[in-house]
Amino acid sequence: MNRAAGGLIGTSPVRLDGWEKISGEARYVDDLSIPGMWVGGTVRSPVASGKIVALRRDPSFDFSRVVVVTARELPGPNVVAMIREDHPVLAADRVRFVAEPIALVAAPDKPTLAAALTAIEVDIQPDEPVLTIEDALAGKGPVWGDDNILAEYGIASGDLEAGFAEADLIVEGTYRTGHQEHLYLETNGMIAVPRGDGGVEVIGSLQCPYYVLNALTRALSLPPEKVIVRQVATGGAFGGKEDFPSVLAAHAATLALRARHPVKIVYERTEDIRATTKRHPSRVSVRTGVKRDGTLVAADIDVVLDGGAYTTLSPVVLSRAILHAGGPYRIPNVAIRGRAVATHTAPNGAFRGFGAPQTLFAIERHMDRIASRVGVDPVTVRRRNLLTTGDQLPCGQILHEPVAAGLVLDRALALSDYKGKRGKRSPSANARTLSGIGLSVYYHGGGFTGGGEERIRGKASVRFSREGRIEILVSNVEMGQGATTVLCMIAAQALGLPLEMVTHPYPDTSQVPDTGPTVASRTTMIVGKIVVDACDALAAKLRAHLAREHGAEERAIRFADGSWWAADRQLGSFRECGLRYLDAAGPLVGDATYRHPEGLRWDEENFRGDAYKSYSWGADVVEVEVDRDTLEIRPLRATVVVEIGRAINPVLAVGQVEGGTLQALGWGYLEEIKMDAGRYLNDRVTTYIIPTTLDAPAMQVELAEFPYERGPFGAKGLGELPMDGGAPALAAAIEDATQIFAAGIPITPERLLRLRIEEGGS
Amino acid sequence: MKVSFEVNGEGHVLDVPPLRRLLDILREDLGLTGTKEGCGEGECGACAVLMDDALVDACLVPAVQLAGRRIVTIEGLGSRERPDPVQQAFLEEGAAQCGFCIPGMVMASRALLNRCPQPSREEIRTGLAGNLCRCTGYERIIRAVQRAASLPAESGQPASVETVPASRTVTASVDGIPAYAPDDLREALEILQTQGERITIIAGATDLLTDVKLGNRRPAAVMDITRLACLRGIALTEQGLEIGATTEFAQVARDARVRRHAPALADAAATVGAAAIQNRATLGGNLMTASPAADAPPVLMALGATVTLTSAKGTREVPVDSFFVGYRRCACRPEELLSRVSIPLPPAGDRQCFYKVGTRLAQSISKVCVACRAQVDAGGVLSGVRVAAGSVAPTPVALPEVARYLEGRRVQGSDAPEVMAAAGNIAAREIAPIDDVRSSAAYRSAVTRSLVVRFLQEIARS
Repeated sequence: MNRAAGGLIGTSPVRLDGWEKISGEARYVDDLSIPGMWVGGTVRSPVASGKIVALRRDPSFDFSRVVVVTARELPGPNVVAMIREDHPVLAADRVRFVAEPIALVAAPDKPTLAAALTAIEVDIQPDEPVLTIEDALAGKGPVWGDDNILAEYGIASGDLEAGFAEADLIVEGTYRTGHQEHLYLETNGMIAVPRGDGGVEVIGSLQCPYYVLNALTRALSLPPEKVIVRQVATGGAFGGKEDFPSVLAAHAATLALRARHPVKIVYERTEDIRATTKRHPSRVSVRTGVKRDGTLVAADIDVVLDGGAYTTLSPVVLSRAILHAGGPYRIPNVAIRGRAVATHTAPNGAFRGFGAPQTLFAIERHMDRIASRVGVDPVTVRRRNLLTTGDQLPCGQILHEPVAAGLVLDRALALSDYKGKRGKRSPSANARTLSGIGLSVYYHGGGFTGGGEERIRGKASVRFSREGRIEILVSNVEMGQGATTVLCMIAAQALGLPLEMVTHPYPDTSQVPDTGPTVASRTTMIVGKIVVDACDALAAKLRAHLAREHGAEERAIRFADGSWWAADRQLGSFRECGLRYLDAAGPLVGDATYRHPEGLRWDEENFRGDAYKSYSWGADVVEVEVDRDTLEIRPLRATVVVEIGRAINPVLAVGQVEGGTLQALGWGYLEEIKMDAGRYLNDRVTTYIIPTTLDAPAMQVELAEFPYERGPFGAKGLGELPMDGGAPALAAAIEDATQIFAAGIPITPERLLRLRIEEGGS
Repeated sequence: MKVSFEVNGEGHVLDVPPLRRLLDILREDLGLTGTKEGCGEGECGACAVLMDDALVDACLVPAVQLAGRRIVTIEGLGSRERPDPVQQAFLEEGAAQCGFCIPGMVMASRALLNRCPQPSREEIRTGLAGNLCRCTGYERIIRAVQRAASLPAESGQPASVETVPASRTVTASVDGIPAYAPDDLREALEILQTQGERITIIAGATDLLTDVKLGNRRPAAVMDITRLACLRGIALTEQGLEIGATTEFAQVARDARVRRHAPALADAAATVGAAAIQNRATLGGNLMTASPAADAPPVLMALGATVTLTSAKGTREVPVDSFFVGYRRCACRPEELLSRVSIPLPPAGDRQCFYKVGTRLAQSISKVCVACRAQVDAGGVLSGVRVAAGSVAPTPVALPEVARYLEGRRVQGSDAPEVMAAAGNIAAREIAPIDDVRSSAAYRSAVTRSLVVRFLQEIARS
């Protein structure tokens, strides 16, 4: 195919789902109504840990009007299938977190549902919950297994002891990050529709149709052909609709099958915050051996993540956390140990960045600490240690692709005038505010960790339709990130067609193959590449047909200037030729399966090898103002430079960077979950504080591009990268302004005050 | 109850419970699902629509207030063929990602541009501060509004059909609670005289519908007082400012007379929620709710304001200082209506301040707020000092001890730092802050101290 035709890559056509969203026409799950549809609700645990004694039904309520399901009435095993089978659909004997589901209710309408839910009383004998990483590590409870350890991994390189022996000084620190709520604007929601064949169709707000399908076949004991999962317009996800929709779908489908009615469950916001996953809180201890000039010679890093009550995706989050724990630095002798522990809190799960933001926060703060210990500035200490092409990561991976860490740092410093602004705390003695500037450098592995992509072996199809359009059939969803537009641009470019001819329908598992989940910054880089291959396969079929049709050799058939040609003979437009194919030969579909890039190896057992197919690089400079008296923090400007291979659609790419950066800043200073006996106190939009327009800094984003040969048209992963650098850069800026070193986030004014009093500082 | 109102140029008559939310009426009764629910408590703005041209959150408008209103939703804004300039600009700038906040964001942008056709970046940020977006980081949205301002203002809004007449006093339908919407004060007071105990009064409804949603309140009967014209508006008399109880904060914040004579009150009004809340929440409601975190009461205390409580039997005046009698309890009796707030004219050279430390910079509830006023003479000697604070005790509180201490003291010269520090310490002792979901007692105490000192430093400097 003529890849140059169209010239779409690197341009920014208006997003294909733009008008439906801007006009209010897009239908999200709560906008859908199905004849005969009931509503579902959930009876939840009021306590963090305890034994279920009884479930009492108020006799004054007529329960014949509703359907109630407890663990005893489930149609299949009491399991939401994820990595392990430890997560029950409904708590049976014990509850392990506040808001854990105990019973489900479906009713014909909302008032009846509300009445039924209040007519069910849960009697639980509570016991002492385990709520902190420290208590979990001490084996209290236990919450899970014998020792609360959900997963444990380690990686090492070099000789740690020799490394520390070589060091001029040892710098140590412990860094902590808290829960983060996704706060997608659209809460989790699902509709389940019972089918005549005893199967079920679910329609929902979700990232991973096949995860949901797998969970449903297991929980409902149904064969895969009797389960259909369809995604509809999804109002933000950020990982919050990666694992959790499997739980919700199991609930809705169980009720629908039982009630023999379609059942809709849409969480009210407080329920969503209490019951669904969050970003894993972390404690990362870093001990480094450093030369006098700041060169790292050894690092011993201990990562602990709070996984909540069940496994969910914690082992995978943990693996990404430890694989990013060394930061974008060359550390010749290193050992990284990671553990995910269980506590009596709602299971934590996927959230943009997936463990990496936690460990990158730790290492970036630690680099600032080293800088001040050895008496050099934060830029110098980073430059001395930054990875360059050909360096080795702690997991043993040699970075053969161009390493852009130095480039993004240089550009971010120049664009922001970092040097001119650093250390200028206060314009005058009377100023109400102190100003500060801070930086971070980071990287993010694109696609699944280790052998994940090989295990998934994602499949994609492209189909030429009777309407003369190319449909991209993949299980990856548009959730705001721009997947629809980017995948259509990639296919249009691959086929040399105008963008208007390509569509990406909402995935429906009865129509699309399993291309894997919409996670891990893989949709553009990995799925996009499979789509290119599928387009090639489709074009080859059409070419072969045209060759037969015209008695020409296949290699004489070419597509150029919108037409197919046999030598100089014009055979017709793509549409005309495609329709002729449909008439003569039946469906015109190109299929492709993920191809493992040659030369990359991963040893799962020893956690060694090529952990990711490629890395994207970023540097942030954040400028803040801190009120002298109230310690209120105001991020003024954020300068972000990222290297992402090639931006398919630069406007969408910049939008991802800006949005991710603000999420990272919010996590850094505003967003906090406080707990009382395991109950989240910040369970409303009024109390879980995310940034508004007035809190958001002005943003300057620059895209750097080193095209990545193995990605589609040079693209690498992007979605998660911007989550990695905002918090440590913000913390550094606050330190520059206040001289207070915060090793934990969120850095609220209250935390700053506490640190100021402890330090006796200014 | 039956209400008739207009949506996107079309008249509707519906029989709905009086507290049914406009949001549910739009989405469920009229099938207009473009308006989204993100929080149900006026915090996210996903349900923002225009009501009589003002931006409001549809989750905080009860049916009882809809009679005769003109609503415009996203569906009424523009079409694919003739998009509103805001929609066109959002498309071109790539301002939408997941799209869930976008209908509200577009309506907020439209409302802003209607009021302020060429907004600055700061005006855009302020105008959209009540609309949360989790995807974009706002940058592209701000640019889109800038671009929309530069596009020809061809409005895609439907031509208004003839306005539906407002129905007068309405009462309960079969399935609803009794509801009243009198347009005559005497009638309202008679209703209160006989049924005051069970009636919940509705003005801006911004607290009420949130409380109902959270299950904290289940009104037995309601009375909408926003049709009582005599309760709305601002007047300047020889005695001072008279502000009607149902005057919305948007009006208080913009009023030139308030800005001149009670600048601290205008500042406070501008920090209540954001645009959609300021268009609905009222000064009287902010007092009647008696929340310790309310922003207006500390200012009114500092300014020596009184409230007028009216009943069928007559009126009485109560200083705001003694209006709050306990946690979320005030001195207004069931048969009474808070009708107006009176603020005495300040003496010449009056200095006022309102400092709010919220959970964030907009759409936030105070962690601490402090209001102060004083007059300072040429020698730096203070008089007429009044200090009050919010979110630091079970009720908004006046801090008389610190005021007494400062009266007649100098805030210039060599003892000034000592005087200021002492004042700060007295203020910190006078309050009774607690740890809660928003902040800590230690922080509240430290900040109250600092803000009193800040006020003194600022008046000393000029």
